[in-house]
Amino acid sequence: MRMNETEKELVTMVLSGRTEAFEPLVSPFRQPLLALAFRLTRNREDALEIAQESLLRAFRSLRRYDVSRSFRNWLFQIAANEARDRFRKGAREKAAFNDIVGRAPAAADPEAGCEKQELRSNIMRSLDALSPREREVFVLRDLEELDIKATARALGCSSVSVRVSLSSARRKIREAIRQDFAHLEEGR
Amino acid sequence: MTCRRVRKLLPLYAGDDLGPRRGRAVQTHIDRCPSCRQELGEFRAALAEIRAAAKEEGGPDWSEGEWTALMARIRPAASEAIRPLGLAWPRWAAASVLGAFLGLAVLSMLFRDRAPGPQQASPAAGPDVVSLTLVSQKTGLQVVWFLDKNFDYKGEQE
Repeated sequence: MRMNETEKELVTMVLSGRTEAFEPLVSPFRQPLLALAFRLTRNREDALEIAQESLLRAFRSLRRYDVSRSFRNWLFQIAANEARDRFRKGAREKAAFNDIVGRAPAAADPEAGCEKQELRSNIMRSLDALSPREREVFVLRDLEELDIKATARALGCSSVSVRVSLSSARRKIREAIRQDFAHLEEGR
Repeated sequence: MTCRRVRKLLPLYAGDDLGPRRGRAVQTHIDRCPSCRQELGEFRAALAEIRAAAKEEGGPDWSEGEWTALMARIRPAASEAIRPLGLAWPRWAAASVLGAFLGLAVLSMLFRDRAPGPQQASPAAGPDVVSLTLVSQKTGLQVVWFLDKNFDYKGEQE
């Protein structure tokens, strides 16, 4: 997915000093970016901080943006790096990956408490079985639907490395779902 | 392909992430192996399940206040971030120039003060007299030797 003409124009405007063009440039990605950060952290506050920092970084680094690339994927790359930096710092890693059980989803939902939502949240918790690297790869490839090459580029690693992590992640997800939701498997 | 080999490749095959050649080999095996076919079905079902859950969950959205506050943070950063291209020096280049200047300054100070070579002539000396200033690095004591044009010793001054 390459950058479209409108995005190109908006990038050019921002770089020429018309910074008000930045908001229309990133607005279409505000929710997807926050959703990505949320899938990586499973915590709304962390996700919000990551999304905010990613957009600030994107603004500061816009001159280095390669317009032949998808703008969305570039933003996702920044967000994945930002999330990884946070995990490495370690301050919240444990909370982000191990303290999930029992935490209500942060997004307000009128259906809160209903069986369907609970089932959905439980399925999403199977992401907790993944290591940070596996989660990055799985979220970008399987939930955000980037292809292998774009995932590798976003994470700054090789396609082979992505395949290895993806294979392991899918195995763990399948195992988690099979153990916790056997009735879903049986129903198929 | 053996079942063992195919099962290693199933997670990638389930998401269409194998190359065409290996993909065909896996498919050929799947067509005739019910147990691998069942395992493939489980992978696909798990992927479909979590994708559907992610889609339904959607994820949180920004409140208008959070978004407006972020955009307000970006505006003041504009003056430092979006500079004319000519001024956007990489950090390493600026650091190199600064280092070179500092190095030159230190070298010029060292050689100006310590070189034991010919210095300016003593006011008393004529045009054919040269002086050598020797400085002890330990004590800081200075001795000036005066030499004539044939480099014969003519006297000294502390």
